[in-house]
Amino acid sequence: MRLTISREKLQEALVAVSAAVPSKTTLPVLGNLLLETTDRGVRISGTDLDISVSMEVAADVETGGGITVPARKLSEIVRELPPSPVKLSAMGEQRIVLECGKSKFKLLGLPKDEFPAFPSVDFKSAWRVKSGQLQQLISHTAFAVSVEESRPILNGVLWEVREDTLRMVATNGHRLAKMEQPFEGGTKADFIIPPKALEQVRKLFPADEELEIARGENHLAFRSPFVSVYTRLIEGPYPPYDQVIPRDNDRLATIDKAELLSALKRMSVVASDQTHRVKLSFNSAILKFSVQTPDLGEGQDEIPVRYEGDPMDIGFNGVYLLEILRYMPTEQIRFTLKHPERAATIEPEAWADSGKYMCLVMPLRLVD
Amino acid sequence: MPRIAILSSTVADQIAAGEVVERPASVVKELVENALDAGATSIEIEVEDGGRGVIRVIDDGSGMESDDAQLALARHATSKIREASDLVGVSSYGFRGEALPAIASVSRLEVLTSIRDGEGAVVRSNGGVQEPLTPASRRRGTTVSVAQLFFNTPARRKFLRSARSEWRAIADTVVTMSLTRRDVRFRVTSDGREALQLPPAATLRDRVAAIWGADYADRFVDVDGVAGPIHVRGLAERPADAGTASRRVFVVVNGRPIRDLGIARAVETAYRSTLPHGVRPSFILELVVPVDEVDVNVHPAKAEVRFTNRWGTERAVEQVVQRALGTSDATPWIGKAWAPGVASVASPEIHLPPMPSPAPMAEGLFADASPAPVATGTVPEPMAEEPVAVPDLVQLRRTYMMYEHDEGVILIDQHSAHERVLYERFMGDMARGSSPSQRLLFAETIHLDPQDADAFESAADVFSRLGYEIESFGGHTLLVHAVPTPHPRFDAIRCLRESLAALSGGRSASTHARHEHLAATVACKAAVKAGDLLSRPEMEALFRALARCTLAAHDVHGRSTIVRVSWDELERRFGRR
Ligand SMILES: Nc1ncnc2c1ncn2[C@@H]1O[C@H](COP(=O)(O)OP(=O)(O)OP(=O)(O)O)[C@@H](O)[C@H]1O
Ligand SMILES: [Mg+2]
Repeated sequence: MRLTISREKLQEALVAVSAAVPSKTTLPVLGNLLLETTDRGVRISGTDLDISVSMEVAADVETGGGITVPARKLSEIVRELPPSPVKLSAMGEQRIVLECGKSKFKLLGLPKDEFPAFPSVDFKSAWRVKSGQLQQLISHTAFAVSVEESRPILNGVLWEVREDTLRMVATNGHRLAKMEQPFEGGTKADFIIPPKALEQVRKLFPADEELEIARGENHLAFRSPFVSVYTRLIEGPYPPYDQVIPRDNDRLATIDKAELLSALKRMSVVASDQTHRVKLSFNSAILKFSVQTPDLGEGQDEIPVRYEGDPMDIGFNGVYLLEILRYMPTEQIRFTLKHPERAATIEPEAWADSGKYMCLVMPLRLVD
Repeated sequence: MPRIAILSSTVADQIAAGEVVERPASVVKELVENALDAGATSIEIEVEDGGRGVIRVIDDGSGMESDDAQLALARHATSKIREASDLVGVSSYGFRGEALPAIASVSRLEVLTSIRDGEGAVVRSNGGVQEPLTPASRRRGTTVSVAQLFFNTPARRKFLRSARSEWRAIADTVVTMSLTRRDVRFRVTSDGREALQLPPAATLRDRVAAIWGADYADRFVDVDGVAGPIHVRGLAERPADAGTASRRVFVVVNGRPIRDLGIARAVETAYRSTLPHGVRPSFILELVVPVDEVDVNVHPAKAEVRFTNRWGTERAVEQVVQRALGTSDATPWIGKAWAPGVASVASPEIHLPPMPSPAPMAEGLFADASPAPVATGTVPEPMAEEPVAVPDLVQLRRTYMMYEHDEGVILIDQHSAHERVLYERFMGDMARGSSPSQRLLFAETIHLDPQDADAFESAADVFSRLGYEIESFGGHTLLVHAVPTPHPRFDAIRCLRESLAALSGGRSASTHARHEHLAATVACKAAVKAGDLLSRPEMEALFRALARCTLAAHDVHGRSTIVRVSWDELERRFGRR
């Protein structure tokens, strides 16, 4: 293998792909990147076995071939190189020489056969989605996944493809986020995807690109002409989230998001750093907040609100509310409630988007 | 019917001796006490055949005038008190004038004594019958030899145990005295072989090291504190070391070694929750109690005393020891942070009353109209807490937090520390009867095997106090609707499962013990584990929480949460000194 590539192109590919390289691994080759020549240049790939990312960049290929190179070292070198063409030449199976201007490096790699093969996915039956639409879905839901190990299904984001909709749902069992986007020509399918993979998808593809998506045995692959992301799927079934979304919440509040956010932030200062418990009291025109934390102190606040329904007190984990508000796309939000022990929902109010967005929070019992 | 007759004084002495002189070790005790009372700085004890042959105690004390030496063998002859009122606060070991005559009446006794070097006299007695005094010569001091103990009371002699076990009792006696009087040199020989050689020691720890070795002395933390009018000091075994060597318990009250179950129990209470069930700590404690609060004349061998305020005395011991453990010598370094929450002394038997429910809030933030504490036995709330200074923490091996301190390097075991934090919080939650509880979107179903179901049934109420809302179906299937959220990484369902598995089988009798056991179990399961990567804010929060714990230095299994390596030690290891 012998090729010349611009330093910028190489740098771009290394940054993109290194995100998939595990920081600690018992399998040494996973700390390496795979470099292979293609018709168009060179493809650089990294994997942690769950998620694999590869990017192809233009290069002048003199002799074809492939090799693996320590990811961290290569990236660190390339970052510091002057903006001149970089010459990469493999010497045998395990050694690579990098030259750039007067700089010259020899690195020890591993034979390319030791690099794990990418899962086989057939793109013949692939469907196409606009990257921007996926980005929208991912960034509004993935935050809500669970990080507990005991329910691996909730560690993933549910992606439901329907004939006319794309829907993503994530929950940790305490709160849930759900977003829908209109779609054309879908075939019904459900996937549970690790959020880390979705994060790569969100970052690596420009918003206006059309992605091809295809399913392997238990993998899902996303690709554009130059970039591909493969991910292991989490095995389902996903819990019946639709059944727990309340339809009969009859107490409605419309609240200014900025005001709600800043009141909650103030409350969090004195909320317990363990439970983050905040009490909300809904009244016809006023939403009152109060916090009492043994050993720490207490606080109260209020903001104006438009509220229909009987007055009600309800407790929440303030962190969950703050997090949800961060993703709410509108200035006003709609809060719906039923009972201090039942789910509450938060939705954007008057959202000028074709999509639908809803978050749900389960209350925290108030101690009295 | 036999007629009543006055007993001869010899018989009377023999009967009295039954109380004072039980076995060779009691002879040693009386003779050593007399030597100490005579101001000896060096005492030698020679024992033959476990004290059944000869007991000889040689001192360099004041000695006796010839007349006094003869008188000393007479009953109620004492130089130490004159009036009954002298008994209050009596500081000498002896005060009854009973020991020597009692011993004399059941042995062949010889007292060789001198008040000036080169002078002196010998008094001998056979079964209490004195021989005429003869002049003799020795250095200033007294030698008392007791031969053929119980030669004239065969019934008593029969009760003597083997030479070995009598010898062991003598050794214990001398050790006890030597712990009490570190300023005095002790030397003990048994059948001519030296068994113990103790030079004067500056500290109790030094004396312990001289008796049992330096390693053994290292097992203890220093106890030194005052509670009310009582001063308690000494050594208490580190919880982590308790149970790993034979248990030794010594209690000294106003300079007198005594036995006292109540005080021993108070010490154990101070260890509560730092020791596994059934493990009991070693300790050596000296109490200084106002002289009018203790009566020393209640036991024939002076082995017990009576406290006028026993409850107060025991609580003082508990409190000072608990403070010493909570601030064990690993912890004082952690700045003021571990400064003892003195109010932590809640007695175990007393159930904490539920917290007063928060009064409706007054106008404004932090209204000072805080809920008025109910007068009777409310737990004082540690409100205005001093902020904890958090050092720069580094995580090692995803297991320990480390930081630098003026005196060395401190390591904190993250799991143990978190366990301790959660345990104390859970105990608080249970006492209050409730804790915040997060409702679940999807009720979680758990199937239990019969043991776990059993465990659940007996602990259901406590789980609910911890914040679990659980519905039980037919005993073997649980539906969990709400869970506690003690910390952001908490995995409530796994914790519930594992706690049930750990609880199955064991069942504690009292409610408090049950709560403790459950809190400890759940804390263990809920705490972050070794291997969990902690962010800096997480480490800081843990440090702060640990600093506020009552017994920060130990986890619920009695292992250390905190280990320190002093600069001294590091410098030794690097050969810098
Ligand atoms: N080793 C000694 N050196 C100097 N005087 C001694 C010694 N042993 C005994 N005596 C004197 O003999 C007296 C009697 O001793 P004895 O032990 O019988 O009584 P006690 O010590 O006064 O009271 P108790 O019966 O409570 O021990 C003492 O009061 C003391 O004056
Ligand atoms: Mg005496």
